[in-house]
Amino acid sequence: MAYTVTISNRDNVRYQVDGKRSLLDSLRDRAVDLPYGCKYGGCITCAAKLTVGEVDQRRQVALNNRQINDGYVILCVARPTSDITIEIGVESHDKLYRNPFLDPLKPYELKADIAAPKEA
Amino acid sequence: MECCGPGYSSPADAVKAPQEKLLYTIAIYTGTGIQKPDYLATVDVDPDSSTYSQVIHRLEMPGIGDELHHMGWNACSSCFEDTSMARKYLLLPGVRSNNIHIIDTATDPRAPRLHKVVDGNEIKSKTNLSGPHTVHCLGSEIIISMLGNAKGEAPGGYLYLNKDFEILGRWENSMGDIKFGYDFWYQPRHNVMVSSEWAAPNTFMPGFDLEEVGHLKYGREIHFWDFEKKVPIETMYLGEDGLLPLEVKFHHDPDSTHGFCGAALSSNVIHWWKDNSEKWQWEKIIDVENEPHPEWPIPVPGVMSAILVSMDDKYLYLNNWLHGDMRQYDISDPHNPVLTGQVWMGGLLGKAPEVNGVKVAGGPQMFQLSLDGKRLYVTTSLFSTWDNQFYPEIREQGGIMIMIDCDPVSGGMTINPDFIVDFGQEPNGPSRCHEARYPGGDCTSDIWL
Ligand code: FES
Repeated sequence: MAYTVTISNRDNVRYQVDGKRSLLDSLRDRAVDLPYGCKYGGCITCAAKLTVGEVDQRRQVALNNRQINDGYVILCVARPTSDITIEIGVESHDKLYRNPFLDPLKPYELKADIAAPKEA
Repeated sequence: MECCGPGYSSPADAVKAPQEKLLYTIAIYTGTGIQKPDYLATVDVDPDSSTYSQVIHRLEMPGIGDELHHMGWNACSSCFEDTSMARKYLLLPGVRSNNIHIIDTATDPRAPRLHKVVDGNEIKSKTNLSGPHTVHCLGSEIIISMLGNAKGEAPGGYLYLNKDFEILGRWENSMGDIKFGYDFWYQPRHNVMVSSEWAAPNTFMPGFDLEEVGHLKYGREIHFWDFEKKVPIETMYLGEDGLLPLEVKFHHDPDSTHGFCGAALSSNVIHWWKDNSEKWQWEKIIDVENEPHPEWPIPVPGVMSAILVSMDDKYLYLNNWLHGDMRQYDISDPHNPVLTGQVWMGGLLGKAPEVNGVKVAGGPQMFQLSLDGKRLYVTTSLFSTWDNQFYPEIREQGGIMIMIDCDPVSGGMTINPDFIVDFGQEPNGPSRCHEARYPGGDCTSDIWL
């Protein structure tokens, strides 16, 4: 399945990408300059912000639930499952990093493997 | 003496080495938003040179996104009697990429060149390891602590390379019940290695979630190994006194059993030694109190991310990355350290926002001491994602390197007014410097057999 990826902070440039490949691979093949490190979804270097649409990023282990709720996606493992709009690079990282002493996570905002269920 | 291999015959001999003229530090763009490779910077530290206190050469790595961090030599004083060995290559692991860059610093010490890259994917496929950290050489071989398996899960293990930098496999015969890896140091005369614990790469690389400490995702133990058998034999549970036990150092004196560990989050120094009945003991000898902050609901911990023991084993240096101070303790009696020096640079407490006319982003973090114990070079960045959390302004300002004049006789430290390297002014934009080493070996590289 092919989907359209729009990069909102690069003049809304659009690319058609394959839903079976990671967004990092697809976009780098089209010469989009993207940061990356581990390439297995563990180090957060490649994080981008998803503003429209859906991705499958079940393989990522870098993000906590707050970061996921804020729209972050890990491009090295995420595959689009619809047309999407993303913001890339450090400009999109405004909410990615927080001082852990000043702004603690709630139990349900931890990483998936240790998060408590959100109370209703 | 007519031998000799690399290094010095003894720590006392090392103290007498000529003054360092060059220093290498890694500088990163990973995580900064600048799409350039990390690099090895050569800094001129010769006070008589016209380029003193400047970066005089930059060796870029072949790829981007490595996150260079710590580094180590191919050979040290443990090969002093082996004339076939030379301290020629500096190993620069990329924590994120897993690549290990082998840098030839001998052909032209001012302009190091890339000799070889041990490919990160090959390391993963041959050893199931990732997240390289500390590099030590063992005679003619090299071991590197690796903090995770190929998927970034703890505990990882130790990568074993031969002197031609070929992968021999894993060094250890067992990781026992060890949960995490980080730093290690060994004392061959006592057949002991001590290793410490940070966290799994998948835990620490994305940044620091404080709550994960309570969920036991970060370490609080140190481990004693049978060095020859390559198996851990005893664990010290440090508990709340030893949260995030990071750097471990033995005395340089090869006969000593005394060693030290800096527990970063607890901001304590742990001391260990072997008692008269041949049992390993430990105690907390330094406890840096958390400090109140005008805007914080809780007091700020020091975050002691590094420690260093002077070549004569007289002084221990430590940093408090969030407070902003560097300290010197006289550890002549290792059970009773005495604070003999303290200086401030950066930090969150606002005590020294500027040093030598440069605004400091970050706090004192990594440091290297001259062999004679007189000059301590200090940098400010910890790890890209953690920098971004605690000191977001480092993105625009970059890291700095300063020098502290230390009195190795009666103690005391002062920031040298003539030395500062501002990595905020680098040609490709602000970068962040971290660990530093000298061409001739330094206070955190050499071990004596
Ligand atoms: S490159 Fe490490 S999480 Fe994507």
